[in-house]
Amino acid sequence: MKNKNVISIVLGMMCFALTLGICIQIKTVTGSNSIIGENKGGNDELRAEVLRYKERYDNKYKDLEKAEKELEKERQSSTQNNAELEQKEEEIKKGNKMIGITEVTGPGVIVTLSDGKKDPNTVLNASDLIVHDADVLSVINELKNAGAEAISINDQRIVPTSSISCGGNIIDINGEKVGAPFEIKAIGLPEQLAALSRQGGYLEILREASVGVELKKSNNITIPKYTGVITYKYVQNSK
Amino acid sequence: MKNSVKSEKITMAIAIAISCFALVLIMFMQFKIVNQTDITAIENMRETELRTELANWKAKYEETELKYQEVATKIEEYKQTKQSNEETEEVVNKELRQVNMTLGKTDVEGEGIQVTLREKENEELGKIKSENLLVIVNSLKQAGAEAISINEERIINMSDIVTINNNFNGFIKVNGQRILPPYVIKAIGNQTYIESALLGNGGYVDELKKLGYDVSIEKINRLKIPKYNDEIKTKYME
Repeated sequence: MKNKNVISIVLGMMCFALTLGICIQIKTVTGSNSIIGENKGGNDELRAEVLRYKERYDNKYKDLEKAEKELEKERQSSTQNNAELEQKEEEIKKGNKMIGITEVTGPGVIVTLSDGKKDPNTVLNASDLIVHDADVLSVINELKNAGAEAISINDQRIVPTSSISCGGNIIDINGEKVGAPFEIKAIGLPEQLAALSRQGGYLEILREASVGVELKKSNNITIPKYTGVITYKYVQNSK
Repeated sequence: MKNSVKSEKITMAIAIAISCFALVLIMFMQFKIVNQTDITAIENMRETELRTELANWKAKYEETELKYQEVATKIEEYKQTKQSNEETEEVVNKELRQVNMTLGKTDVEGEGIQVTLREKENEELGKIKSENLLVIVNSLKQAGAEAISINEERIINMSDIVTINNNFNGFIKVNGQRILPPYVIKAIGNQTYIESALLGNGGYVDELKKLGYDVSIEKINRLKIPKYNDEIKTKYME
């Protein structure tokens, strides 16, 4: 008899916990629904327009990717019967890799920067615990100094036109918003890139400020291609 | 008697199992909905946000369309010149020249802005550091600069700007080459965008001016930027 009581109490408590969980969830969902409802008035058309353009962009981007593959094939077949042309074709392909419009692999390092876990009330300046755009900019610059050949931040490839800017608690790279932790991948000689951890280097400064810093060497890093397009309006080759 | 107690127990167990299953199912459904609200972020945007978002997607779409046309033209050119090596060579040379321009391996020109940055005399704190130049270059790129140089050193994708010896005798190296003040930074791009990005409220040149540096900005309609002086070598990436 006693055993039965215990079981029913346990069951009762479990049911109560589950019901509580469901209630919280329902409340959250209806809460977010009501926000949508409030804002919806009048902007439906604008919203549809945004979605339409996003879709048009997505489709166009897929077309572009297809066309780029076709161009590569066409270029190859056009140049394959002439050694001099073949060499130039090779140069174009290599150039595109260096610019960042094709994926690359190789040895290198992965640096991860995450916001400090210390209690913000225990440090003099709580802002020091956070990874800022200037920190990422400096780490990228040090990687370049250590001979990096290709770099990405949270899979956003660094191309010649890439800039890094602050947008509140996130940073903006290539027009895309990325948040901490920042995973910075770089291809190059791993031993040389790992010198970033040296005394007086920027990573040490960050470590001292209690920012989470991790550096891992790897023999096989894949850095994705740039997901935007590089176009020029003002610059042209000198005659 | 014993049998009926047993069957009662089994019914109970099954009933409880079913209700638990139902509860868990509902919870998972709810979790899924909560996750989805992330995707429908657009639904939550206000009008001004929607307008900037729309402008962003429009610009991205138009840029992609332009690039697509460019690639399609190239494909057509390769197809048409397939028969003749000479003609193909012309097309390949054109494409290679474009790639080299993006890499920074060609001399370029166009409308742009020239920033001249002088150090404060006889003041250790008045020295310009590599960080200052790094921020200027980043702001220029953000404002859409298409080619940049510092004291005639072309900034390419993997260019570094570092301070050697962080003291009074220190100096700055760009692309491994020592450069000396005054620093002349050239950028080709939309003059209005670049100027306002540097001089506007919170702009970096504005900030340097407030710190007492002598900075001047000049609009130049035919600005020339030299090519990267060295070979761009890659050994590790494939």
